[in-house]
Amino acid sequence: MILLQNRPMNRRTCLRGLGASLALPWLEVMARGKTAKPPVRLGFMYMPHGVIMDHFWPAGPDTYLTSPPRNLESLRGVLDQCLLMKGIAGVNPAPFNGAPHALELSTWLTATLPNADRRNRVDIAISADQIAANYIGAFTAMPSLELATMPQTHKENQEGLHEAYYSHCSFSSPTQALPAETNPRTVLKRIFQSQDLGQQPALRRTDDPLERSMLDLVLGGAKDLRTQLGEADRHKLDEYLDSVRSLERRIAAIEARQAEAAKASAGVTSTKRSGSDSVPIPVMIPEGDLRSDYMRVMCDLTVLAFQTDTTRVSTYIGSTPNGVSYPELGFSDQHHSQTHHNNEAEKVEKVSRITSFNIAQFAHMIHRMHSLREGEGTLLDNCIMMWGSGLEDGNRHTRANLPFIIAGRGGGSIRTGRFLTGTTGNQGDLLGTLLTCAGIPLDRPIGIATKQLTELS
Amino acid sequence: MFPPVPRLGSLRVALALGCGATLTRADAAEVPTDPRTAAKQTFDQKVVPFLTTYCAGCHEKKQKGGVTFMYAKRDPGSPAFRSIWKTALSNLESEAMPPEDERQPTPEERAMFAAWVTGLKFMSPKDPGAFVIRRLNKTEYGNTLRDLFGADPALANSLPDEGSGAGYLNSLSPVLMEQYLGIANEVLDAVLAPEGRPPTAIQSSLQAPGQSLRRIATSLARRAYRRPPSEREVDVLLQVHALAKNQGRSDPEALRLLLKAVLVSPQFLFITPAPHTGTEPLPEIVPLDDHQLASRLSYFLWATMPDDELSALADAGKLRDPEALRAQVRRMLADPRSRALFDGFGAQWLGVDKLATKTFDAGKYPEMTPVLREAMYDEARLFFADIVRENRGLTTFIEADFSYLNQTVAAIYGLDQTVTGSAMRKVRFTDSNRGGILGMPGILATTSFPNRTSPVNRGVWVLEQVLGQHVPPAPANVPSLEKQDRKKIAGLTLRQRTELHRTDPVCANCHKILDPIGFGLENFDAIGRWRDADEAGGTIDPTGELPGNQRFTTPHELKRILARRSDDLCRNLTEKMLAHALCRPLEGYDEVVVDDLSKVIKADGYRMQTLISAIVTSYPFTHRRTKE
Repeated sequence: MILLQNRPMNRRTCLRGLGASLALPWLEVMARGKTAKPPVRLGFMYMPHGVIMDHFWPAGPDTYLTSPPRNLESLRGVLDQCLLMKGIAGVNPAPFNGAPHALELSTWLTATLPNADRRNRVDIAISADQIAANYIGAFTAMPSLELATMPQTHKENQEGLHEAYYSHCSFSSPTQALPAETNPRTVLKRIFQSQDLGQQPALRRTDDPLERSMLDLVLGGAKDLRTQLGEADRHKLDEYLDSVRSLERRIAAIEARQAEAAKASAGVTSTKRSGSDSVPIPVMIPEGDLRSDYMRVMCDLTVLAFQTDTTRVSTYIGSTPNGVSYPELGFSDQHHSQTHHNNEAEKVEKVSRITSFNIAQFAHMIHRMHSLREGEGTLLDNCIMMWGSGLEDGNRHTRANLPFIIAGRGGGSIRTGRFLTGTTGNQGDLLGTLLTCAGIPLDRPIGIATKQLTELS
Repeated sequence: MFPPVPRLGSLRVALALGCGATLTRADAAEVPTDPRTAAKQTFDQKVVPFLTTYCAGCHEKKQKGGVTFMYAKRDPGSPAFRSIWKTALSNLESEAMPPEDERQPTPEERAMFAAWVTGLKFMSPKDPGAFVIRRLNKTEYGNTLRDLFGADPALANSLPDEGSGAGYLNSLSPVLMEQYLGIANEVLDAVLAPEGRPPTAIQSSLQAPGQSLRRIATSLARRAYRRPPSEREVDVLLQVHALAKNQGRSDPEALRLLLKAVLVSPQFLFITPAPHTGTEPLPEIVPLDDHQLASRLSYFLWATMPDDELSALADAGKLRDPEALRAQVRRMLADPRSRALFDGFGAQWLGVDKLATKTFDAGKYPEMTPVLREAMYDEARLFFADIVRENRGLTTFIEADFSYLNQTVAAIYGLDQTVTGSAMRKVRFTDSNRGGILGMPGILATTSFPNRTSPVNRGVWVLEQVLGQHVPPAPANVPSLEKQDRKKIAGLTLRQRTELHRTDPVCANCHKILDPIGFGLENFDAIGRWRDADEAGGTIDPTGELPGNQRFTTPHELKRILARRSDDLCRNLTEKMLAHALCRPLEGYDEVVVDDLSKVIKADGYRMQTLISAIVTSYPFTHRRTKE
């Protein structure tokens, strides 16, 4: 069974191998996934344009826990669950120096520059979250969860680069940018569909049990169509085939969950959740359009998805590099225009407050994860949550010390409560090390990576 | 006439660039007559040595300043590198490059390089571009559900927003697939009656008595797939039906499952060609088949599936006749569904698609309510529709003396005494500063900051969106206005301070065009109201001068100067709309196509419908490349 070999697994290959008779091997995988130890989850959350360095980096390792810098105030109480490292360099932007904001997001999880020869296409690299999804995504109803606050429709083509680079950070293959979900209602529905949590009858799955067999037939027809298409069309149709197969797999997973839930309610003990685990958190969809409410619900949904093991990989583009304002903070200026502050006090102040605002939403998620029991510890103990930006200083577009916060112990693989100042490494090193901490074997370095950062553990 | 931005330098080069014919004649003796061969030959024999001599020291492996010609040299004709060549040219022209202390090219070499950059388009082979099977975007999908089943298009609202036209990603993810399945369920719940209730109209039409199941499935697939289905495709649907029957389901339930299969099939979700049945592999470039063409046209102008007339023409194989296509364009543009051309393209082009969500300082502009934003959008929409419907000349976009207003948006014009009520109607202006997109509140608002106007943004907007010029981003580390030397700026107005940009040669190139245009529109505040004084109380000075001694003293005069640039406006709109129609960014060969289209459109007085027809009958719209 190729799925169980101890090597990085390409989801596409494995799905092709499985073909139509999915139900059985899938359940077997599910069974293998239920190890005694809770699984490690990986989450990423993004803010563009960098930070005001003096307001973000702690004054020193000794004062990190006792008097954190102003941007980290909201993390008080969980700073001992976090790790900060200064000295992680971003990707050298040449030959795309004129497109800093297209690069900051698209290189963030790829640590790779877009292909310079085919820059007007999406052609970059599979992103770290998707490498993780290919591996640990096989154990859950959703391989990964991609969220965003803004629709991914920005149009700009600096340096001739494709506009998708401005609003996407997840790439399922070098040429496919993954769309992110912006509607919390849709996300909630998906989580509930996967879970049969019982408390929301209206959201319970009502679909036809013949759906999976029907999809099999449609898939067969699509393969016929494929043989009659030109080469370029075939490539596009493969995306369809992969998506339908993934959907079948998900339905199978949901069926398995439902069967398990039925067993549990009939008095047969479920192996899935241990008695000490917390009950799923309630998630309220906000009515207004307050940005903080909106971002918080997206964070809550991530917590819920991790808590219920609906997925083990999430990416949240909290903000994109263009046209975003924070009227809630009492000013209407756009984030980007303020980051070119030239050290002017008023703008510096605004950038700092925007940073604190974004980190506060991340902190909300971390506090929540820390408060939820799981197994012998907390949910956060089994997570690796990374918050960060693809630029260091938005004013000068520098990338020498990218701002990152890592929260959670990754099931014991990360030693938190520290601020490391002596690190030398790059974005690819960091991503690769985090994946390793999550138990994901890599068959090649991520982007510009050259090594593992041993100081994490 | 003032020359476009990147070509501001010497008159010599401006002339060569502005007029390709002059160049060909001058070099006729040594240049092959085929422009493609000529461009390639010039590149190999002259441009490469030029780059090696003057640029390679810093801009090959070293990538100084992040600039390298390494990639562009490998595929010089690729549109990906157009901006690199154009930037290189403008740096050469402004004498910013090569640096003063390096070897300088001769005037002849400079002219050679400039001429070659204009001829870049000839580097690409004739190519319609890969028309890869295309997934319906969110709007198209919703509209198609409506036309197919009478379903509410709002059922598609739960799909993520996505770009359309040139920036359309055309990707499909597992999440999206799942949503399609969920929406299919909702559609069927909405259009099929529950068991035991009288059938809905849709059901009755599907189950007309006496029809075989194969007939039903075939006619359903014909409509849903927007082309005749193959036998095999119908077989699949019958198998789905049989699957349900074998599990003991009732006929209506089996039919429901069949419908669901249709709604998640790639033939429904994508625009697919009729299956290729021949034994020979497809040639590299083929004309679109009639049905694919019908779909492409219908989704371009209506954002929905072809109607009966278009389908019948496709069935009869008559659609590939250019005259038939033009007749269809006229008919379709007269149909209300053609508002899709504005919602999908026009709104994006004019920037008003961002109005609904753009942030405005609520303290300063409490007027910017959702109602006003919608009225602003509708004004732009109806104005655009008028130009399309009446087949007006493209300069109407700039020079019109009319617009469409209701009382809400009329208040911005100060006309709410005469225009009352919520209905939009055509209004002729007596104030010649109003009228056209440059005096339109919605557009003036989208080019402003949340709390004040931005003359620079407005200038960039006019250059890029109206005249189609590429304005490079400001180099990093340019001191902002506030940062300028305090002594130097003491006592200067915002305008005078901005003009300081133009004393620096790096900035001057762009700002000497951007700033006059932006400041020429300063009488319009951040939401488009007329004002004579700025917020600080200073009188607004709208006078300015554009290169070529073109002076203006009012927005009206500025508009008149810009309206003379009909060739640029036409070319720009052709490029943007062609990219939208093709759902891809324009490629190398497309530039030659745009040249040809521009000539046709110009010959007919720059009319809007001519432009649209020219696009629909163009080579890349009617052909596709089968290989990647």
